[in-house]
Amino acid sequence: MNEKTHAIFTRPQSFRDVVTHYCPGCTHGTIHRLVAEVLDEFGIRGRTVGVAPVGCGVFIYNYFQTDFLEAPHGRAPALATGLKRVRPDLIVFTYQGDGDLASIGTAEIIHAANRGEKFTTIFVNNAIYGMTGGQMAPTTMPGQITTTSPRGRNVEECGYPIRVAELLSTLRTPAYIERVAVHTPQNIVRAKKAIRKAFQYQIDNKCFSLVEVLSTCPTNWGLTPNESLNWLEETMQPYYPLGVFKTPDAEVQK
Amino acid sequence: MTRILMKGNEAIAEAAIRAGAIYYFAYPITPQNEVGEYMARRLPEVGGVFVQAESEVAVGNMLFGAVASGKRAFTSSSSPGISLMQEAISYMAGARLPVVLINIMRGGPGLGGILPSQADYFQATKGGGHGDYRVLVLAPSTLQEAVDLTMLAFHLADKYCNPTMVLADGMIGQMMEPVEFPENYVEEPLPPKDWATTGCQGRDPNVVNAKGRAPIIIKSLALDPVVLEKNNLVLAEKYKLMKRDEVRFEAYKINPKNRILVVSYGTMARICQTVIDELEQEEISIGLLRPITLFPFPAKEILAEAIKPNIESVLTVEMSMGQMVEDVEWAVKDKRPIEFYGRTGGIVPTPEEVKDYIMKILARETPAAKNWNG
Amino acid sequence: MMQTPFPAFDKRVIIFAGAYGSGKTEVAVNYAIGLTTSQNQPVSIIDLDIVNPYFRSREAAFELETQGVRVIMPHNEMCHADLPIILPEIRGEIERSDGKVVVDVGGDDVGARVLSSMVDAFAPKGYEFLIVLNARRPFTSDVAGSLKMMHDIEMSSRLKFTGIVSNTHLIGETTTEIVVEGYRLAEEVGKAAEIPVVFVSVVTEVAQQLDPNVVKVPVFALSRQMLKPWEEKVKAVRGL
Repeated sequence: MNEKTHAIFTRPQSFRDVVTHYCPGCTHGTIHRLVAEVLDEFGIRGRTVGVAPVGCGVFIYNYFQTDFLEAPHGRAPALATGLKRVRPDLIVFTYQGDGDLASIGTAEIIHAANRGEKFTTIFVNNAIYGMTGGQMAPTTMPGQITTTSPRGRNVEECGYPIRVAELLSTLRTPAYIERVAVHTPQNIVRAKKAIRKAFQYQIDNKCFSLVEVLSTCPTNWGLTPNESLNWLEETMQPYYPLGVFKTPDAEVQK
Repeated sequence: MTRILMKGNEAIAEAAIRAGAIYYFAYPITPQNEVGEYMARRLPEVGGVFVQAESEVAVGNMLFGAVASGKRAFTSSSSPGISLMQEAISYMAGARLPVVLINIMRGGPGLGGILPSQADYFQATKGGGHGDYRVLVLAPSTLQEAVDLTMLAFHLADKYCNPTMVLADGMIGQMMEPVEFPENYVEEPLPPKDWATTGCQGRDPNVVNAKGRAPIIIKSLALDPVVLEKNNLVLAEKYKLMKRDEVRFEAYKINPKNRILVVSYGTMARICQTVIDELEQEEISIGLLRPITLFPFPAKEILAEAIKPNIESVLTVEMSMGQMVEDVEWAVKDKRPIEFYGRTGGIVPTPEEVKDYIMKILARETPAAKNWNG
Repeated sequence: MMQTPFPAFDKRVIIFAGAYGSGKTEVAVNYAIGLTTSQNQPVSIIDLDIVNPYFRSREAAFELETQGVRVIMPHNEMCHADLPIILPEIRGEIERSDGKVVVDVGGDDVGARVLSSMVDAFAPKGYEFLIVLNARRPFTSDVAGSLKMMHDIEMSSRLKFTGIVSNTHLIGETTTEIVVEGYRLAEEVGKAAEIPVVFVSVVTEVAQQLDPNVVKVPVFALSRQMLKPWEEKVKAVRGL
């Protein structure tokens, strides 16, 4: 880089200079980057500890320049609870997919949210089990074909997809809960704002915060990256509406 | 130091606080609820934290997060609850984390009952969850020992960075005895917890994978079998050290005149002591070797006593249908006949029935080898 | 040797409550047995301990029944359940007009809460509500702690204490000094709460050594019924 040029786009300090393992067109990388940028902007990298899930996000600890714990499947909110209660001065976040959070870890996320644990959860919803090879998730769309729903998700047998943001918003305990998507630049900007807000609430020691991010899985959906972005908008988004579902301040006013 | 009267569960709770463990995560289960009730009352006084979790599955994992910070944290539960924690125990063993678990055993299998039992010996000493690991297991037989071993458990957990369990039966949790707590508790120096996830401030973010420098990752995932085997070998090396340095046992009335060597632990050992005292009055000499560490197991020590010339057989007495006896049999290696007496499901054998069984063994002309499982 | 009369009460219902591990059950069981020999009327004991899983008065049922005490407790499998079981016959037993009823309540305010649901059954007949104090227990080792315990139990049970039983002991390590130290504390607590110390209870061997000039209330000698499994031999000697 010579003196006449200046960088307008750099790797966040909280992100390591490594190549991720994610498939082409997968939006995990985008979401990672947003979290890393937020850690940089708040200057909290040095006192942040992440909790990794089981799922495609399992190797997140290799990509962040922060301390990390690798949790058993679904239990990241329990680990985060233990760590944050013992060290309330740390910034703790979990990064979980839909199988991890909405299936095996349902109890852990509901109770952590209900206790009002002061950590942040980034919940990546791509309507499928990515890591294990494209099985049906609790968030899989009605009629969506997966390796364990080869004729499409049958809602008579499997029920309808779980809307995590709405579900957690029914809890009386104050929290910040927003659903965003990362399939267009505008949405990415909004997603970043939501993630910023989530960490802000934690920094202020205010409440539990969760950002549900609608994400893509071209490999297991069997679509090209571009088709995937369209499928997210056309199929997922109508069922999973974007927006703020709960803020601590609104809850207090009730 | 004032001696006070305490219930076993309370004594264990206070001992943990005295050892600096003021972070407690638990889920209610009988017969150990007094630990949580005591902690709920005491922890606010010492600036600690008590989280009543949604399940024992969550308890284990909250502990995972808590001890990863380098602070001392623990839980208490009873048999079915400990089963649910096996997931996290396995992960913590793999990630080499120091955690203390108190198991106040009740009768099983399944929901079983709430009365005392020693039926979790296999689960506690052979690993318990999936994978290639061991838990260090301490078994008190008096409340004073429950206090001392609970405090020791935190030290050993830190020393070896390994899950450590205090394994007691419901009788020890529920009974009352006078105890005292050390006033100025000093521990042997321990290595610094430079592995703790406390935020990477001050560590060089640009150096990856240099020990103690880069961000710290606590995990048990190792997809490369070479790496995983290496980790398991590190664990195995640790267990070897424990076997060398941490074996603890009590010899009770062991002398050259002993005709039978009794091996028994916890509540059961105290019943055996009553029997041995009574038989001594009748000039029948019986010795008791009481393992205090169940893992590492005092195998060499048992063998050394078993092969004394006057010993006719080695009798294991348990509140189970025969679990520790397998380790005793392995320790004695066909050098002496192995006998077993046990009651299960919450029944605590009376001194009378243990004595009757000993008299039967002594009356036999040739005790049957491996009588216990034949 | 110290000889004092059996600490009898006119009221027919005598309720023993107190902190966890204060020795309520040992006192209640001995008291019920004592009633059968000192008074010529039927005696029953109600095991109202719904918080402790072990060492409840039901454990001494055989001894009690042998001595002529009717034992009201859950039977068969329910005897070992860790469920709060309240038998319907308890109310009938309390409301009956003849005989004496001893009630053994579980520890702390938590254990005494069960009384609140039957407070209307106690009131018309009159009752003694006795707090069993052991100064060698962690939460009742001083006046403030004891008063707090009493207050908490009174709030949860909706009954007022009428007297104190000083039951300070260290099981096998009990000495006269320990008993006297506890008795002095009980007197102080009684003064603060404006209720009398009704008796001191302690195992016979120690009871015999107490100085009546120091302990100015009746001394009730206990014979241990709540034994640990390795103490069972003692039971055998007594001919059970």
